[in-house]
Amino acid sequence: MATNRFAIRKANEKRNRYFDINLLMAVIFLLIFGLVMVYSSSSYDAYLTFGNASYYLRKQIFATLAGLVLMILVALWPYRHLEKMAWLAYVASIVFIFLIIPFGHEANGAKRWIYIGGVSVQPAEIAKAAMIVFLACIISRMGRAVSTWRGFAMVLGMVAPISILLWAVTSNASSAIIVMGIAVVMLFVSTPDYKRYIIGAIGVAVMAALVVVIIVTNASRSGGSAGGYRGDRILAWIDPEAYASGKAFQTLQARYAIGSGGFFGKGLGESMQKLGFIPEAQNDMIFSVICEELGLFGALALLFMFIFLLWRLKIIADNASDLFGALLVVGVMGHISIQVILNIAVVTGTIPNTGISLPFISYGGSATFFLLAEIGLALSVARGIQLRDY
Amino acid sequence: MAPAYNDGKVKTFTPRMRKKLRVLFIIILAAFVGLGIRLYLITRDKGDEYARLVLSQQEYDSKIIPYRRGDIYDRNGMILAASNKVYNVILDCSILMGKDEYLEPTLGALQSVFNLDISEIRQYITANPSSRYKILAKRVSYEQMMAFQDMKNAEGGELIKGVWFEDEYVRQYPNSTLGCDIIGFTSGDNIGNFGLEQYYNSTLSGTNGREYGYLNEDSDLERTVIPAVDGYSIYSTIDINIQSTVEKYLADFNEEYKNKVNIANGAENLACIIMEVDTGNVLAMAQYPVYDLNDPRNTDRLIGARQVDIEGKKTTGKPIEITSILGNADNEMIDPDAVDTTESASQDEEGASEDAQETENTADGSTVTTVTADGEPMLITESLYVTEDSLRLMDDDTKYQNLNSLWKNYCINATYEPGSVSKPFTVAAALDSGSITGNEYYNCEGKLKVGDHEIKCHNTYGDGYLSVAEAIERSCNVALMHISFACGKETFLKYQHAFGFGLKTNIDLAGESRTASLVYTPNTMRQTDLATNSFGQGYNCTMIQMISAFCSLINGGNYYEPHMVSRVVTSDGSTIRNIEPRVLKQTISPTVSNTIIDYCNLVVTGEYGTGKTARPAGYMIGGKTGTAETLPRGNGEYVVSFMGYAPADDPEIAIYVVVDRPNVGTWGAQADAKYATRIVRNILTDVLPYLHIYMTEPLSDKEKAELEEKNLTDTHEYNTAAPEGTETMEDASLEETPEETQAPEEVHEEPEEPWRDFAIDPDTGYAVDPNTGAYVDPQTGATIGLDENLPGGGAPVTADQDGSAIGDAPDQIQ
Repeated sequence: MATNRFAIRKANEKRNRYFDINLLMAVIFLLIFGLVMVYSSSSYDAYLTFGNASYYLRKQIFATLAGLVLMILVALWPYRHLEKMAWLAYVASIVFIFLIIPFGHEANGAKRWIYIGGVSVQPAEIAKAAMIVFLACIISRMGRAVSTWRGFAMVLGMVAPISILLWAVTSNASSAIIVMGIAVVMLFVSTPDYKRYIIGAIGVAVMAALVVVIIVTNASRSGGSAGGYRGDRILAWIDPEAYASGKAFQTLQARYAIGSGGFFGKGLGESMQKLGFIPEAQNDMIFSVICEELGLFGALALLFMFIFLLWRLKIIADNASDLFGALLVVGVMGHISIQVILNIAVVTGTIPNTGISLPFISYGGSATFFLLAEIGLALSVARGIQLRDY
Repeated sequence: MAPAYNDGKVKTFTPRMRKKLRVLFIIILAAFVGLGIRLYLITRDKGDEYARLVLSQQEYDSKIIPYRRGDIYDRNGMILAASNKVYNVILDCSILMGKDEYLEPTLGALQSVFNLDISEIRQYITANPSSRYKILAKRVSYEQMMAFQDMKNAEGGELIKGVWFEDEYVRQYPNSTLGCDIIGFTSGDNIGNFGLEQYYNSTLSGTNGREYGYLNEDSDLERTVIPAVDGYSIYSTIDINIQSTVEKYLADFNEEYKNKVNIANGAENLACIIMEVDTGNVLAMAQYPVYDLNDPRNTDRLIGARQVDIEGKKTTGKPIEITSILGNADNEMIDPDAVDTTESASQDEEGASEDAQETENTADGSTVTTVTADGEPMLITESLYVTEDSLRLMDDDTKYQNLNSLWKNYCINATYEPGSVSKPFTVAAALDSGSITGNEYYNCEGKLKVGDHEIKCHNTYGDGYLSVAEAIERSCNVALMHISFACGKETFLKYQHAFGFGLKTNIDLAGESRTASLVYTPNTMRQTDLATNSFGQGYNCTMIQMISAFCSLINGGNYYEPHMVSRVVTSDGSTIRNIEPRVLKQTISPTVSNTIIDYCNLVVTGEYGTGKTARPAGYMIGGKTGTAETLPRGNGEYVVSFMGYAPADDPEIAIYVVVDRPNVGTWGAQADAKYATRIVRNILTDVLPYLHIYMTEPLSDKEKAELEEKNLTDTHEYNTAAPEGTETMEDASLEETPEETQAPEEVHEEPEEPWRDFAIDPDTGYAVDPNTGAYVDPQTGATIGLDENLPGGGAPVTADQDGSAIGDAPDQIQ
């Protein structure tokens, strides 16, 4: 009976093999739109610096194509094999982070890249993807134990070292926050209660408020920039006009771009702020150029596209054939949503400035490459979905 | 109903987890909605402001392209004033700091080409790395700018970055002091001060251009250039050669009489105008002292000039209270008698010997002494004349006032009593109105009682019976008073008005004085005023009024508006305006004009003529001398002048030279028209041949030698129409040798000439009247330096002789 049922299921599986074409199309749309915007925002700077307007575009196209190949491979590969690789992923991310110390490539005052075979890779992006795999595996193995305080703390306790390492070695706070965020999102979905999350959220909010108050009072006492590099960013966030030519220059210029775009924008390629006013407009601040050129309308359309993408991920997670697959997709969903929300919050000046790229859109080879790998995972999970006949 | 895929072994995504995932999704949605609202609010509330900010950040939104101020040329196209392009060196630190390897080559190039202090620039760059506009050097030449550009284009020059050039124009006056009072100068942003620069400021000025970016319909930034419109250039009627000749002889005069008595210039003012008789075009207008137009604020030029105080009034030479000098505040003013006035000692002696009244005035400005460091008390006396010492003591405002008086054009700004040069006008008025016929004789007894006053002639012994012509020739006051009485004050003033006295001539120069309040009206004029007006005392005029009116006397009665500019051209040389000579009125009839010419010729040719010394070798000229007393009456200070024309038979040019208070001491010494006539003679000797006016008169050996020395040609041969040497002219002697041997050809009764028997004073060369002890001119019998007993009071003339306080002085510049 059991073997028979299994045989039927196998047959059904083959017959009704599911492929989430919606997710794939949403991702491809975002990628192509991203390439267009990378070219629009980077061509002026690229021409001035390298004498080649499509310098950044070509590199991004290369990373995107490589990422798409990886995505297809991952999508075709049964994700269940990953279940055994949890610790491998954990150790690998630690190793890559440590590789920065001897082989790190410095840019903009921080070591965040390493070269592997002529290709620069950001260990932080590897860590994010690896954490998703690791957490999905651990949480699904722990089962109900994760709901207990001990289990909950154990999971967070395993993620924390990675997060702290990222912060310490790459001095990249945003990656550390994202890794922790992914863990919290996955735990939130896999545990039944709300209380600890509400308390935790309030706690974080109070802590943040305290830090801001301390920095501001310190600064006003010493009459200027006290509180170091991050403290200045917070001061610049509170009163950007006072730091208009310094720390707040980038965010203020980005906000000028958003405001000056109006409701329908100046037209594709017509941004004036990208002409030297927004530094590295193709990176973290690309959303402001989108607002300037395509207006509020274009920006909201892009947000809808992200919502659609996240909704597809939610559908896949809901219908995943096992907890591991579902948690993988929840992790991917958490990763993308956190980055989109934080990026737009930074660009609009809602939170202090911290370097977070906009998924699929911002220039950045590693980020796109590993994001596409994550999408490949989601597609692989989607392939495991059995269409139910009621 | 269990899900089909739940086989019990594989852990599943439970409904509870699905629920939590739904909650997570809603939280994410809420965050997205929140961000969407934030975007909307930024766009709605700040959209316009940010749109403006974005546009204003564009650096090429606006840039001024300076216009070129028009040039000033003389009548032959020689440059009097020109604007030349220069370059400001601008550093853009943010470009220079773009790459480390730019810094050294750029700084090296800056140092080698512009010789700039590199360490200073380094400091600036370190302090302001994002500065985009720093002026490193101002007004570098085209050659320097090109040297830098060549360096940039040479090998390795691609590392020179962040330096660019801004155009600017600088006003230059190639002849520095030449014609300074006519031309004027510019200050700051091309604002003309004084002279042609001020009067024609709007003509010379152009419109700045602009280079700016704007958004077209497709929101593309486009750059547009509105070119600058250059100012118009003007051609003056001035002839640079005549002008420089005039200035040379004025300077020569100054050199000769400088520091003679006072430590001061050769005369308080020294000025000359040469004008075309039949057009009103001014050929030359000059004065001394001059200043350098390229450096108008240089106070060195002030030395020797009459000093003015902080209010622009002339200093009186009285002691002034100085409370604190050189930080010593304890000094009190002390008795003037205690002052050591070494430099003016000779002055004081002379003053004392002549008149006690003089001592105060001749207390020379050089008595200014500073308080010594050891606190020895010293008196500060207000300087009469500017010296190096007084310059050191002057505060900035006073210095500025003194410069301002230096910049003023004496010829049009100063008002003074003209004296005897106005006699031809009185005669012309009387003849033209029919009040006299010209055949009258007047008995001069040396004085005339008018009302309560006894007004003396300069020859107090009387000239006897004089015809109208002789009255002009000998400059007889008594005859002129009789003539003016024949006119009556109504007619006299009507003609005075017709000649333009009391009216502005409207010459195209900035700073002409108004003299309406300085002449009489029929209501204010008394008989004594009419009497004194007849020989040029009691009312004030300007030089330009006098010579403009004189031109009408000798050109048939046509009063031309005096003019300095003949043509206005655009920057590419096309003429847009010709300023033609303008006849304003007919002052007298041509017949009277011819009569006046005959009379004025006698002044130079006649036996008793007062202007003989004005005649240049080989030429015959006419004119009238003038010796005017200044106020207060009896101060022994005179304005001597000569106003003449050449050639005598058909006047082409008129010349007027004024020597205001020559530096030869007071009383008799100043009252001698030859200070003016000698300058006229010198100028005309050079200018007449230059104007292609040929000689008509025979040359004596002495004159031939003189011409040879001056490298001038005898031009008799060119003058085909020249008559044979006329008999009317005696062998002109330039020396003032008495011609007692020659019998006067007087028709009327020969007057007694008692002064011819007086002993000659060996020091002065004057005859001494044994009865009064007064000096007498041995030739004409004129008492030297004798007060003509002019009535004062009720006259519109104030004590200020130069009109600096009464005329409408030009706007002062800051």
